[in-house]
Amino acid sequence: MSPIRSLDQMVDHLRESGKKKKIAVAYAQDPNTIGAIAKAINEGFVEAVMIGDEKEIRSKAEAEGINPEIFTIVHIPNDVEATTEAVRMAREDEADVVMKGLVGTDKFLKAVLNKEKGLLPPKAVMSYVCALDLPKYDKLLFVSDTAVLPYPDLNQKVAMVNYSVKMAKRFGIEKPKVALISATEKPNPAFQGSVDDSIICKMADRGQIKDCIVDGPLDVFLACDPASVEIKGIPTPINGEADCLIFPSLEACNSFYKGLMLFGGGELGGLIQGTTKPVVVMSRSESEKSKFYCIALSVLMAD
Amino acid sequence: MITRLEQIIDVLKSNEKKRLVAAYANDAHTIEAVNNAVEKGIVDATLVGDKETIKKTCAEHNIDVTKFTVVHEPVEIKAAQKAVELIRNGEGDMIMKGLVSTDKYMKAILNKETGLMPPKAVLSHVTVMENPNYHKLLVCSDVAVIPQPDLNQKVALTNYVINVARALGIDTPKVALVAASEQVLPKMEACVDATIISKMADRGQIKNAYVDGPLAIDVAIDKESVEIKKLESKVAGDADCLVFPNIESGNVFYKTNTKLAKAELGAFVVGAKCPAILSSRGDSVLTKLYSIALAALVASK
Repeated sequence: MSPIRSLDQMVDHLRESGKKKKIAVAYAQDPNTIGAIAKAINEGFVEAVMIGDEKEIRSKAEAEGINPEIFTIVHIPNDVEATTEAVRMAREDEADVVMKGLVGTDKFLKAVLNKEKGLLPPKAVMSYVCALDLPKYDKLLFVSDTAVLPYPDLNQKVAMVNYSVKMAKRFGIEKPKVALISATEKPNPAFQGSVDDSIICKMADRGQIKDCIVDGPLDVFLACDPASVEIKGIPTPINGEADCLIFPSLEACNSFYKGLMLFGGGELGGLIQGTTKPVVVMSRSESEKSKFYCIALSVLMAD
Repeated sequence: MITRLEQIIDVLKSNEKKRLVAAYANDAHTIEAVNNAVEKGIVDATLVGDKETIKKTCAEHNIDVTKFTVVHEPVEIKAAQKAVELIRNGEGDMIMKGLVSTDKYMKAILNKETGLMPPKAVLSHVTVMENPNYHKLLVCSDVAVIPQPDLNQKVALTNYVINVARALGIDTPKVALVAASEQVLPKMEACVDATIISKMADRGQIKNAYVDGPLAIDVAIDKESVEIKKLESKVAGDADCLVFPNIESGNVFYKTNTKLAKAELGAFVVGAKCPAILSSRGDSVLTKLYSIALAALVASK
C-alpha cells in the first residue's frame, strides 16, 4: 500500500477498499452529525445506528434533505441512556465505532471511561491524535495531544508516540518519523519535556519503542523544514520530514493546530486513543468536512 | 593512538619536558617516584619541603638531589601552599602530593583566593587503565572524588575523559555512560542522566566524541555481548572512556580490575588549572610513574 498523503486520498482509499464499519451514534439528533454520517454512508464505508429521540432524528434528517431510512434508528430519548447504549454496543461487538452526538462531552466521556462498562482498558493511557492536511506540507502531519492530556509525563508521552505511529502506519507509512517537539533542540534540565524527549529517543535506540524513527527535542522548524536542518547543521534522522509531532503540553499542541487552521488553512480529522474501539468526539467548532474526515478516520482505524 | 601506558613515556621523551612541583616532598616514597620520572626523562621536578630532610633522604637512597630544584619550606601546610603558588606563578605545569595529608593538599588547591580552581570548575578524577584483556586503554571517571555526581557533574566528567582520551591520540573518543542496563529504565537516575548526556552529544553540546548510554559494563567493552544483544551503538563493545554513575561503581571497577585482572593504571585529579597527582603509598612504582606521565601528557605549558 503506498502511503496516503492527504485526507481526500484516505477517503478514496476507503471507498476502493470496500471496508465498511458500523458506527453507533450517541444521542444522534444533531444536524451536523447526521449530515456527516449520511455523507459517509453515501460513500459506502459506514453503516449507522442512530441512538436518540427517533422523532427528532427523523425530522432533523429530513430538514437536511436526508432520507432517514439510510440509518438504523434506536429510540432512547435520554442523552445518558443513549450514550450508555452506544458504548455497550461497541463493547459487545455490535458496533465498530462509537461517535458522540448531541450529548455533552463530559457525559459522553464518562460512559466511555466507565471502569466496568466502558471502552478504556485498565492502565491504558487515553490520548488524542489529529491528522492534519496542510496546504504547505506535502504529506499528512499526525499531531498529539490536541485535546486530552494537559501535561503528559514520560509514560503518557511514550503512549502518544506509539498511538501516532500506529495511526501513521495505517496510512501506509512504514517507518513513521516522529519528532518530539520542544522550543529548542538542545536538552535542558530546566525543560522537563526536553529531558523526557532524550529518554524516549534512547528507548527507541534500544528497541523499547519500535517501528519508527524518533528524534527530539526538536523545534517545529527542524521537524518540518529541511532547509532549517541544513542551515542549523543539526544532524537529525527526522530531517525536516516528520510524519508525527509529539508536543510537551496540550496548550502547545492545541494552539499549534488551531493556529495552523486559522492562518494557514487546511483540514483535519482526529480520534481518541487508548480505547478498545475507535471513539469519535467532535466539537461544534469543527467544519463539516472535518466531521466527515473524523468518521472516515475511525473506519480506517477500526479493525 | 596510545594503546599501552608505557607508550606515554616514549611520547613524553620526544616532547618538551613539563615541570612537576611536589608538595612537601620530604619522604622517600615521593622522592623515589619523582626521581624515577626524572630519570626516564619525562619531567623536570621542583621539590618543596624541608631542604635538609630532602638532602638527607636523597643521600640515603642514592639519589642525586641536584637533579631537582629544591624550594625550602619546612612547614607542611605552607609547603602545600608554596607548591600551589609556584604553579600560579607559572613555575610549574603539574602538582603532586608528597608527605602532606590529602586534606591539606586539597585545601591548598581549592582555596578560593590563592588556589588552583577556576570559578565553577568541577573537581574530579580520571583513571587510565591498561588491562591485558582489553585491546586499548580505558579512561575512567570518577572513581575517587565525587560520590554521587549530578547531571552537571557527569557532563564535566564526560568532558574530562574526552580530553584525556584525545591527549592519548584518540581523535573522537567513544564514551560509554555506564549504568546497570542498556535498556532505558526511567526510574533509574543513572539511565536518565545517560540519555540526556547522549542527546547533548548528538546536539553538539558535548564535542569531539561519540557518547552513548546507558550501557551496562558488558556491552560497553565486550563486542560479543553487543552482538548477542543486537545492540546498535557507535560506542558499545569498543569504549575508550567509561563514565560511572557513582563513586562506588567506579571504585569497585578499578580495584577489581587491578586486583583480579592484573590491570595497570595511572590517575590524577582534574578540574584544577593543572593536573594534580594524588598517589597513595599503596600504589605500585609503575602506577606512580604512569600517574606522573599522564599528568605530564595532559598538562598544558
